[in-house]
Amino acid sequence: MSVNPANPKSAGNRVGSVQCDNTTLHLLKANDYVAQAIRTRLKDVCVINVCSSPGSGKTTLMQETGKRLAKDLNISILVGDPETERDAVRMREVGINALQIVTGGMCHIEAQMILQALDHIDLTGTDLLFIENVGNLLCPSAFDLGEDYRVTLLATTEGDDKPKKYPRMFLTSELMLVSKADLLPYVPFSVDAVSKDAWEVNPNLEVMTISTLNGEGLDAWCDWLKAKVQAKKEAANQTTEK
Amino acid sequence: MHELSIVKDIFDTLSAHYATKIDDIQKIQVTAGLLSNVQPVLIQNAFDAFIADNRQYRDMELEVIVNDIIAHCDHCQKDFNVQYHRFVCPCGQPSTQIVQGNELFISKVIFKQHVS
Ligand SMILES: Nc1nc2c(ncn2[C@@H]2O[C@H](COP(=O)(O)OP(=O)(O)O)[C@@H](O)[C@H]2O)c(=O)[nH]1
Ligand SMILES: [Mg+2]
Ligand SMILES: [Zn+2]
Repeated sequence: MSVNPANPKSAGNRVGSVQCDNTTLHLLKANDYVAQAIRTRLKDVCVINVCSSPGSGKTTLMQETGKRLAKDLNISILVGDPETERDAVRMREVGINALQIVTGGMCHIEAQMILQALDHIDLTGTDLLFIENVGNLLCPSAFDLGEDYRVTLLATTEGDDKPKKYPRMFLTSELMLVSKADLLPYVPFSVDAVSKDAWEVNPNLEVMTISTLNGEGLDAWCDWLKAKVQAKKEAANQTTEK
Repeated sequence: MHELSIVKDIFDTLSAHYATKIDDIQKIQVTAGLLSNVQPVLIQNAFDAFIADNRQYRDMELEVIVNDIIAHCDHCQKDFNVQYHRFVCPCGQPSTQIVQGNELFISKVIFKQHVS
């Protein structure tokens, strides 16, 4: 590197004597190690990280899913919320094994919180573990929770420009659920436009349209879940047979 | 965004790597890909708040470099710049093989000169 002594942008430090380390000390890596530990621990449980803005319908969907799949799958849920226990109570009301993770005002769940929570919830027999993330499309996208799939809800009331505004969330998701589809006749929201934008960010993203109010799309969603649980079980069996 | 968590992680990482030499650090440079969602202004504010609370670091400076997003196109065997979060190569092929843009790391550490 050549140094121009007359460079007016220079702070005037005597360059020759400054010790400078060029490094690649990665940040937030600890989270990824913990996420890996969760994957190792939950070999035969299908884990789904459910993300969205506040109020997009995550808890309502979890309740409805629990009711519909009660006969097919054993479901548990970890519910993240900045302050209250409310959502876990809503889940237990419909008979789902639920544990609240109160994040203490934090805007996202970190893998460490999940690992700790696993010591406080009995997952014996659980096929499917939902993690309801904190309502936020920005921060949760940066934290791997050891999930198998990340599912992001986008309600028709939120506007169809979100995939471009929060690209990392949609880039790291496997499935986008356009929720509150029953409101489509009343709001300016185009499922085609939002899908097109989302696919520009992530061409592999699956898209489904659902409503917990009128039941639209819920059969497809439940079938998707059942297939993912099955796939996880088969993968776990294969590794134990080896 | 979780800027304060990142700043705490910066100091944890530095003290793990440099031990007591951390007190001689004059300046650090953090490189953040556009996809890491790090806002330079917010992280600077969180950094300033942290060093105000931890007086031994009060002279430390922070520089944040933001990297563009670059993806690889298998079809052209070339990298392309991702603009406006459009993960589509100029040739029309979509691709999410990210070559650059996800990273978040301390890229440079400059130590104080000891004028003896
Ligand atoms: N119209 C309509 N409202 C819904 C639907 N799903 C949820 N809601 C309502 O949206 C609000 C927020 O739902 P909730 O499940 O608590 O959202 P969360 O914050 O993402 O967990 C509640 O008032 C729900 O009744 C839906 O499919 N259609
Ligand atoms: Mg909720
Ligand atoms: Zn190309």
